Formats: sequence, structure tokens, C-alpha cells
Amino acid sequence: MRILTFAISALFTVWLGTVASAHAFLDHAEPRVGSAVPTAPRELSLSFTQKLEPAFSSVEVSDANGTRVDLGRPSINTSVMRIGLKPLSPGTYRVRWHVLSVDTHTTEGSFTFQVGQ
Amino acid sequence: MSRYMLLSFALASLIALASTTDASAHCFVGARFFPATLATDDPCVADEMSLPTVSWSKTPDTPPAVEWDVSGEISKRITENFGVSIGETWTQIRQPDGSVTAGFQNLETTFQYQLLKDRAHEFALMAGLIVEWGNTGATNSGLGTSYSLVTPTLYFGKGFGDLPDTLSWARPFAVTGQIGYEIPTSSFDFTQNAFIPQQAVYGASLQYSLPYLKSEVIDLQLPDFLNHLIPIVEASFSTPVANNLGNPYTTTGTVNPGVIWVGGYFQVGLEAVIPINRDSGSGVGVLGQLHLYLDDMFPTTVGQPLFGGTSAAPRKMTF
Repeated sequence: MRILTFAISALFTVWLGTVASAHAFLDHAEPRVGSAVPTAPRELSLSFTQKLEPAFSSVEVSDANGTRVDLGRPSINTSVMRIGLKPLSPGTYRVRWHVLSVDTHTTEGSFTFQVGQ
Repeated sequence: MSRYMLLSFALASLIALASTTDASAHCFVGARFFPATLATDDPCVADEMSLPTVSWSKTPDTPPAVEWDVSGEISKRITENFGVSIGETWTQIRQPDGSVTAGFQNLETTFQYQLLKDRAHEFALMAGLIVEWGNTGATNSGLGTSYSLVTPTLYFGKGFGDLPDTLSWARPFAVTGQIGYEIPTSSFDFTQNAFIPQQAVYGASLQYSLPYLKSEVIDLQLPDFLNHLIPIVEASFSTPVANNLGNPYTTTGTVNPGVIWVGGYFQVGLEAVIPINRDSGSGVGVLGQLHLYLDDMFPTTVGQPLFGGTSAAPRKMTF
């Protein structure tokens, strides 16, 4: 049991001495996940729980017909990814994102928000 | 080799390992995260450690004895899709008259291979072989056995993220399950003077992920603590199916409602253990577990598969 205790202590010591980071979960979005906003947003913002690798993280926003309504290239500042939006008419829009955290773990997800409904 | 040496070797090997390969996830399948379940196993090969898992229950005896189990398990990917787990359980049984039996159960190893991860449908499939090694536990006190148990097992997990928008509230649901066939390496136990049955061992979980609800369906702006919870009901059963001469073919098992809190580096689970019949236990027990995500804690070292990781830069995802 002493060996086991030692080994576990060693693991935690190594961990505490490491700048560890984990999978990047979506912490919150603006417009919020599943929300309805009265006026069309000009930008989508996604905040994650970990720092992102910009070169391997992306997002797209599309309307109910699948047509892209974002302005292309997102900007990423540490753990926040932003992308500009074209003028949005009332309707439902789907956001699909894929990110790589700085420790090379990938996560992905999608959600919708509504405008003017 | 003693169990301590085996466990120490495994842990020491983990500490010593280092590689530069690309990391993969614990049980992420598309947008779905399947947490490590307590009574059954999740459907993914991963680098993880459950330490400790503690349970308290009362045995089916009349009058019942009180049983404590304290176990640990460490899982390591050998390749991206193949992993090995080593687990050990210490058991203490206190009889109503105060007498105590305590010791280790047999050492358990599990070899697992990831057959499928379908991201779009949040579906995972894994094959495994569980081996409980005879003569590695306290056989004199009946907690270990002189024979081994070999259990080929199939594991699955399915998230319901592909449900239509009209059922979006149900998307956070997921099910996992496993079914195996337990084969003893001996057909007769001369110490107990009884046949050793072959058994079907199976279980499942139904879970509702509040993290999934928040990030995929609707952000209700709940308190942060709630957004990390996954309410869950697990069930675990075994049914003798062969070589059970003279004994009833009674299914035993438990149903475990509970909750798992999921963090960035670890999770904590707590479940009630409800026996399904008198042969399965007396009264409601408790099961708790601290589970560590080694691939997140040590992303560039022990959280990597030993061989065959993707050393190239990760590929940019296109939608």
C-alpha cells in the first residue's frame, strides 16, 4: 500500500508541476445556445474553457437552407472565437464549431439560435 | 509477482512514459461526452484512472453482513484503439456477530479494442476481454478464487443528438451498455463443493447530460455546478446460464440511480445501489467514485497511447 500511495503521490506531483490543459468545452456563446434574439447580431462569439489553437479551430453559421451567413475567417483570442455575420433576416441559424485546444485535444459541437422570433 | 508489484510496475511505467504524439480524447464521440460510469464500463478505450471507487452494502445473508469494497483501476492505451486496464478490489465483510473477513479479490485485467466511433450519430462500439486471475486474491477467506474468470464483452454507447428539432429536449439523453459471457476456468469448486456456473453479465446506463444541454440545445443559464452534472441510472445484472447444476437460475443485480459531476480533469460519481431481489443484497447501498482523466492531466506524456499515435500535426477540420 505504501508503494501505491507513493506512486499516486508521484503522479499528482508530476501533474501539479505541469501546465496541463484539458478538452475545450463551450462555456458560453453570444447569442446564447438555443436563444431567440429580437435583432440580428453582427457577430457570433464562442467562449471555451481552454485556450485554442487558431490554425485548427473553426466555426461556421448557416441558415435554414444551409447557406453560410458568416463572414468567413474567425478571429481567435486565447479561448474566445469570434466570427462576423452577414445581415440576418428573421429565422433559425445553426452554428457548427470545431476546436483544438492547446494540448491537441479536439472537441466539436453545434447549436441553433433564432433571430426575430 | 505480487499484486503490489504488478500495480507498482503499471504506475511506474505510466510515470516514465513520454511521447510526442497527437492526443486523443477520453470518451468523446462527436459532440457527445460519455462519462466513466461506475457500475458498468463506458464504450471507449482511454487513459484514465478510477481511484478510489468505494461501495457500502449489505449482503443477502440472513441476518445481513455489512460489506465495504474499495477498488482502484488504471487504464492505458497501448495503441490509439487498443488499451489495457488493471484493477484491484479490497473487501471487508463484517458479520452481525462482529467477526470480520477482509482481503483482496482477484486481480482483474481488461483488454479492450475500439471497434467504432461514429461522430455524426454519437455511437461507439468496443470489444473487450475481462480476465479475473485465479489465486491472486484472498482465497483462504473466500474473497478470491483459485480459478480464473474470462469474460468476452461487447460495449456500446449511443447519444441522441441526432434527434429532430421537435425533440431537442431529448438530445442530451444517451445510453451505454455492455454484455458479456463469463466463463470460469474450472467447472467445480472443491472448497465450496459446488458447480461454478457460466454466466451472462450485462448492464446498461441511461444518462442525461446537462453539459450537453447547455452547449448543444439551450443555455438555461443554470448555476455552473448544475451545468457539470449528468444524472444517471445504471443497472448491472448477472444470470447463470450453464453448469449451474442443483442451483436456481436466478438473476442478480442492482439498479443504481445517481449523478456524475464532470470537470476538466476529473469526475466524481455517487450512486445509490438498489438490489433487484433478495438474492442481490439487503437494503440500499452506496457507490462513489473519483475518476481521473489522465489524457487531460498529462496530455503529452502518460495521456498518450504507447504506440501508433498520430505524430503529425492535427488535420484541420472542414465542415
